[in-house]
Amino acid sequence: MKIEDIVKTLDGTLVAGGNSDRTVGAVVANDLMSDVLLNDSDDILLLTSLASDQAIRTANIVGAMAVVVHNSKPLPQTMCQVADTLGIPLISSPLSKYDSCVRIHAALEAEKNG
Amino acid sequence: MAEPYKAKILTGGENRNDDQIMAEHGLRVSGPGLTGSDDSPLVIMELLQRLRVRDVMRDRNIISVERADSLKKAQTLMKQNKISGVPILEGKRLFGIISVNDIIKALEGGWIEECVSRHMATNLVVLEEDMPLAFAIKFFQNYTFGRFPVLNKDRDFVGIVSQRDLTRVLMKELTKEIAKLEGKVCNEGSIAKSEGALPYYSMRQFVVVRNDLQNAGKAANEIKKMLKDAQIENKIIRRVAVAAYELEINVCIHSLGGTITFILDREKATVIAKDKGPGIKDVEWACQDGTSTANDWIRSMGFGAGMGLANSKRVADTFNIQSKIPSGTTVICEFKLA
Repeated sequence: MKIEDIVKTLDGTLVAGGNSDRTVGAVVANDLMSDVLLNDSDDILLLTSLASDQAIRTANIVGAMAVVVHNSKPLPQTMCQVADTLGIPLISSPLSKYDSCVRIHAALEAEKNG
Repeated sequence: MAEPYKAKILTGGENRNDDQIMAEHGLRVSGPGLTGSDDSPLVIMELLQRLRVRDVMRDRNIISVERADSLKKAQTLMKQNKISGVPILEGKRLFGIISVNDIIKALEGGWIEECVSRHMATNLVVLEEDMPLAFAIKFFQNYTFGRFPVLNKDRDFVGIVSQRDLTRVLMKELTKEIAKLEGKVCNEGSIAKSEGALPYYSMRQFVVVRNDLQNAGKAANEIKKMLKDAQIENKIIRRVAVAAYELEINVCIHSLGGTITFILDREKATVIAKDKGPGIKDVEWACQDGTSTANDWIRSMGFGAGMGLANSKRVADTFNIQSKIPSGTTVICEFKLA
């Protein structure tokens, strides 16, 4: 599952950070960045409600492949700038975090089953 | 015999701290201004408090005249040395100052051959050598003088500070501080540049400002970049970056501010977080998972889950913490590279 698939699945928009060819290795849905830092998985897709620079910086620390912010939350300009600087794709979605989880899970299952 | 100068001595005093002295002289201790401002970069504030007037004053080759000397002599000295004022000194005692304006008046009035003691300015504003540089800057702002005489605690004349002296030293010190902040590859020659991906022993230091969550995390991201550039294994990079990030956030949200220092050599990477207080009461408790003293604001920013120290300890090969109330906490995390 690549960036364009995530955008499509979540009815989202890629707002900053640019596109990439990386695929989802694991999904983490969390608003507490310390919890995110505990995760050892690679190529994390971070689903969060935290619309701040720190969500992007945390994503960079754990090598996340993208960050999705939910409920069409307004994204601070600095957050987009940090995403551009660090090259972390930042996606805005109108869905709730729960609905995103459900849709991403279904899409990953469908991908796994061919 | 004439009395020495009737100077407005702005002295440091024996039992008062710098903040008290500044307040007494109507200088702002906090709020907008050169020092104490929440908006001022911490490093500049510290520099202006750390540097003293003696660090910027000229104390050699001071051109001076005595009270009995003529204004003509003062004029000649000013012309020869391209200066705009001379102190009137006898021994170490300051009696006054003659400026270019006094010379112009003397030429116009026809008293250029008279002795300086009749025309020198005696109501002087002077600085004391122990005063923080912040004082001197404020005085150049508040008065129109181009220079100030400097006295020691015994009221002896010890030198002169001009705006140019101040700017020259300040620029030099700021350059040093910037080099520290930007990161300075040190001991470059101490480890051979030959094989492997680690050409240098390198060290960088980052200043972390209290409650500046907007910028918190920049140091950790820079450290991660340094490790990538040095082609360190990804798994190790992640562990170092996680510890650096957690410690940086801790310094930002729980302390009065401090530094993150990163040292990289061929054998290990070291992250040192050092803050200025207030210290941790129960270090053992603070290092347990889920223990937190964070407030709602910190939690709303995605932190304060109480995992910071525990998480740093988890990822590091060696973890050392020392804390003292109220002086502060130092955490050292080391990571073996092989």
